[in-house]
Amino acid sequence: MSESKHVLLVEDNELNRDMMVRRLSRAGHRVITAADGQEALDKMHSEKPDVVLMDMNLPVLDGWSASRQAKDDDAIKGIPIIALTAHAMDADRENALEAGCNDYATKPVDFPGLLIKIKKLTRR
Amino acid sequence: MSLRRRLTLSLVTILILFAVNVGTHFWGSYARNESMEAYRDSVLAAQLSTEIEQLLEAQRQQILVLATLRETTDDQLDEAELEQAEQAIAVINDKIRRLGRLSHSVMEIQFEQLWESSNNLLQNWLEFYRGYNDATLQKDMDNPLQFLETSQRLEELEQRQAFIAQQRATIIDRTIALTDRITVIGFFSSIFLTATLGFFLVRYTNTALKSLKTGTERFGSGDLNYRIDNIDDTGELGDLAGAFNDMSDKLRNAIYDVRSARDAADEANDAKSIFLANVSHELRTPLNAIIGYSEMLHDEMGDSGEINRQQFQQDLYKIIKSGRQLLTLIDDILDLSKIETGKMSLHCETFQPAELLRQVVEALAPLLRDNFNELKIGDFSQLPTLYNDAGKFRQIFTNLLSNANKFTEQGYISLNGRNVPGREGWVEISVHDTGIGMNEEQQSRVFDAFVQADSSTSANYGGTGLGLAICKDFCELMGGDISVTSEVGVGSTFTVLLPADPELAHADA
Repeated sequence: MSESKHVLLVEDNELNRDMMVRRLSRAGHRVITAADGQEALDKMHSEKPDVVLMDMNLPVLDGWSASRQAKDDDAIKGIPIIALTAHAMDADRENALEAGCNDYATKPVDFPGLLIKIKKLTRR
Repeated sequence: MSLRRRLTLSLVTILILFAVNVGTHFWGSYARNESMEAYRDSVLAAQLSTEIEQLLEAQRQQILVLATLRETTDDQLDEAELEQAEQAIAVINDKIRRLGRLSHSVMEIQFEQLWESSNNLLQNWLEFYRGYNDATLQKDMDNPLQFLETSQRLEELEQRQAFIAQQRATIIDRTIALTDRITVIGFFSSIFLTATLGFFLVRYTNTALKSLKTGTERFGSGDLNYRIDNIDDTGELGDLAGAFNDMSDKLRNAIYDVRSARDAADEANDAKSIFLANVSHELRTPLNAIIGYSEMLHDEMGDSGEINRQQFQQDLYKIIKSGRQLLTLIDDILDLSKIETGKMSLHCETFQPAELLRQVVEALAPLLRDNFNELKIGDFSQLPTLYNDAGKFRQIFTNLLSNANKFTEQGYISLNGRNVPGREGWVEISVHDTGIGMNEEQQSRVFDAFVQADSSTSANYGGTGLGLAICKDFCELMGGDISVTSEVGVGSTFTVLLPADPELAHADA
């Protein structure tokens, strides 16, 4: 956990958001949050995070649409996105990757695994 | 026209032609026979005439000689000579009679004349012979008049006979030529007709069989909408085509049934898969919190330094809350699965709805206070005693009221009941709130399993999305129904209609 990354956590469930923020902070990352897809896109523009952890079932703009729009936007398409979802079927993984997500993790989250994914995707 | 009728018609036509041929052939043969007979008769008659002529000539010479002899000498005829002469005259007479038999009615006049003159002549000669020995009898035999007359009559008869024979031969020849022609024409037309009928019969049968073959091939390749309808036959082939068409109809229906059954099974399978995916999703959400918080607390326990006891307790409560949510979810899933497999049964008992509703409201009072909602309860005193499943009744209104409370803050929730006017034994109990409400699309899906008005709803308001599905299933199981009216931002009203006894619903239906 040597490297501190700037992480945008997109999660609409308060309980899960709170838990993830605390665990990521504890792992040494700087965490900002968004509660829906639109807010996530806005914060990707304004905050330029190193990586985005994106829930898929989101109000206003869902995770798939938000990922797709992010990857079509030259200003932010370089930011890696990790899909975080309780949809655990193979097709859901395909859907997430197809929407432009760089990686995929199912809930309940394997936290050490997630940290490794973050590290891999933010390696320069 | 049917194949049998076509075949019969062809056969009858051929048989008629054949019969005509045979008939003309017999006619021709008969005419030939006639002709032969006439020819033979005329030949015989000519022969007889010549013979008679010669005999008459010979007899006349003999008589002339005898007459001369009698005058010049004293010649006498003995018994034997007289008898011989009489016999010769009888022979002539007999031959003339035979000639008469050969003559036809058209020659009767000529023959009568011959008969008369020949009789006179022969009678005269007979008298001459008989009176030959009597010297007193004077007879002039030199006069040839009688003889010449008979000869002439004979010749006339002969001529007439020849003429008639010729005439008849001409007629008969004509008949023969005609029958020959008819026979030839009949023969050739028989051949032609047989060939033509055969050709058309074969072609027609071939076409029909080809249609049947095409049809069965199309049926075989799975095109069961194909119809064999180009067969112009009301008989066997038409029936066969009809039977094939019926068979394809039945096959199509059978295949349709099988496909429907398969589609239904696929649909059920898909529904099950979706249900399973949903269950997986719903279980993972609280588990994420439980595992996440537990791991975090476990890690924090390993850290050196002070533990924030208050924070620790709050985090533990979150784990407990998520665990309870998980339990509710599992209970709901089991209920729903029981309902869907038809294993959910009714346990009917007699109860006062007012009393049960009061208990439900009491149990939910703390939740209502949390959201600062005020509950208005109507007058239930008029509601009848129900004989239905009290447990399910309680669960329905617990779900509806906690739902109403979940989506309403600092508002009003009202619970009202009444007897349905005009429907004896039916009650209507409604739960009204002044909460967030739903649009029409959301209302149409609100009773489906795992559906909440919005995907963020469960995140913001909690719940499994199974409560209303279970309410609806319970209402239907109890013989009643549930409906919703709602307006976004104004509130929702869920109305439950229940019979006092589930039997009542069956009686009404």
